[in-house]
Amino acid sequence: MGNVLHGFFQSTKAAMLAITAHGMRSALTTLGIIIGVAAVITVVAIMESLSTTITDQLDDLGSDMVTLQAHTNPEQEMLGQSNKLSYDDFLLLKAKTNNVSDMTATMRAFSLGTSVQYGRSNTQTQIIGTDSSYQRVINTYPELGRFLSESDDLRRRRVAFIGSSVAEKLNMPSDPTGEFINLSGDWFRVIGLAEKRGKLFGFDQDNYIIAPFSTIRSLNGSQVTDNIDIMFRPSKGASLDKIKAQMSQILRQKHKLSGDDVDHFKFVTAEKTKKQFAEITTAVTLVAGGVVSISLLVGGIGIMNIMLVSVTERTKEIGIAKALGATPQFILFQFLVEALILSLLGGIIGLAIGYGLAAMVAMFMPGDGGIMVPMWAIILSLGFTTAIGVVFGLAPAIKASKLNPVDALRYE
Amino acid sequence: MSQPVKDSVIVLKDITKNYKMADQLFCALDGINLTIKRNEYVAITGPSGSGKSTLMNVLGCLDNPSSGQYLLGQKDVASQSEAELAKIRNYGVGFIFQSFNLLPRSSVLNNVMHPLIYRIMTNKKREALARNALKRVGLSDKIESLPNQLSGGQRQRVAIARALVTNPAIILGDEPTGNLDSKTTADIMALFDELHEQGHTIILVTHEAEIAHHCHRVIRLVDGEVESDITNAIEEPKEFVHG
Repeated sequence: MGNVLHGFFQSTKAAMLAITAHGMRSALTTLGIIIGVAAVITVVAIMESLSTTITDQLDDLGSDMVTLQAHTNPEQEMLGQSNKLSYDDFLLLKAKTNNVSDMTATMRAFSLGTSVQYGRSNTQTQIIGTDSSYQRVINTYPELGRFLSESDDLRRRRVAFIGSSVAEKLNMPSDPTGEFINLSGDWFRVIGLAEKRGKLFGFDQDNYIIAPFSTIRSLNGSQVTDNIDIMFRPSKGASLDKIKAQMSQILRQKHKLSGDDVDHFKFVTAEKTKKQFAEITTAVTLVAGGVVSISLLVGGIGIMNIMLVSVTERTKEIGIAKALGATPQFILFQFLVEALILSLLGGIIGLAIGYGLAAMVAMFMPGDGGIMVPMWAIILSLGFTTAIGVVFGLAPAIKASKLNPVDALRYE
Repeated sequence: MSQPVKDSVIVLKDITKNYKMADQLFCALDGINLTIKRNEYVAITGPSGSGKSTLMNVLGCLDNPSSGQYLLGQKDVASQSEAELAKIRNYGVGFIFQSFNLLPRSSVLNNVMHPLIYRIMTNKKREALARNALKRVGLSDKIESLPNQLSGGQRQRVAIARALVTNPAIILGDEPTGNLDSKTTADIMALFDELHEQGHTIILVTHEAEIAHHCHRVIRLVDGEVESDITNAIEEPKEFVHG
């Protein structure tokens, strides 16, 4: 045991000496690893903080929010069928479903198109018709003015609650409440400006206009059959599955679906969306990480190269060591430790640089700018560099340990 | 020769060594039979290319013979593992190379301490032993120098100190005075005499007749064969006087 420990200590010392004796060469060797690890850490850290930002934003949307949408499966679509959810469906559900805290219906304003005008400015946006409970389901709060009220809906008022991007694009005054905007010929008074949400995957989340459901419905007119989305939030502690089952039953009954018929609707949960986003970011992280991992591999080959050169260059030295009583294991270990120290050193420096780079990039990213390097990335990159040290150091180390003393000594 | 086996430190039986050079087999050692007893003082001479150095490499376990048996302290060298051979090189023999083979980037002290790295002892002890060995060769004032800052003779003495530091039973010197002036040669030979008196077995390769005659036994090699093996009549080494 003492023998092993002694060999370990002395060969490590010899390795350290060799590294410091060839400072420049050692630095250049580790450069490949440094760049590789730094790239991996930067990419992973950026992807990770991006995905955290996205998850946070999705949480803002309300991760327990559920959307019920009409759904037409491809088979039905080929038959020219198009399923819809009607306002009556919504009223029925609202009346009959238990354990739902807020429920709201939203409708696209088909007749109004997507164009909005204010003064000489105009822009494209999405126009949503909904009622006052939308605010609680979606967590949208006014920055200025107010959200839709029940009476707005009852009286079919032509009022609009607008997202901040709309106000910006239309060059509206900083307080746009009370101003009038034109939606394809119909004038709407702005009653409130929404709090800014920012961008999600580059999609502007503040580009929308919300108007009372009844107003949009009447403007859509009878030419278009209602198709609404229903959004709701389960009560605290209620089982979503039970709610879904109950709603499905009610709707299937109302739509007169028999046992074998597929549902005309589907539930979309934010949780599911979050999961999908998480899957996407993980995939992107893996692909990007994989690409930059190649640079790590190249760095590893650099280490092997230098180790091979080092063995050849120091053949005589190895011969002397062997002639004076160094065991093959000692030589093997010395070269292995040398490769290991070089790659680990590169790994640690790369980690620091990668962290710094990621922090710099994070300053230009949306969100709170916090940078997170996940533990797995640290362990993975350090583990990888260690593996590189062992794998690429092994061949030269074995070569060195097997040299015949006389042959090694004869080498000039 | 009929000395008891236990006294025989080195026994060579029909040792051959062949090199393959450009498709031609070159026979460096051609059936060497040799027995060297403990505390012998042997010179190996012969013209260049006669296989002196090859024989020394075999004796120092730095090279394997092509055939034949080599018993070192009653152990068959051929049956030793690489690790055991390393131990023999470290503990059993002290090898003084013709070309010194010092580490160019290490100080004199570190060079002399080098063999002790492979032994379990404190660094302090290593340094003390190395300083002592350097003192014996008269280089106490050069311990921090690098080999290339020394003269040929000084380097030779560092190499000798490195061979002495492990206190080996057998000291093998390949032309240990080949690079020295007559004064230093006399000093070094006095040192070998002293080591011999302390009980070390000493085997020197030399082409200098003076040195050879100084030793108690002279083995002359020609074309890889023992041409003559003469034990000098004088038992006690006379004072070495050069020229």
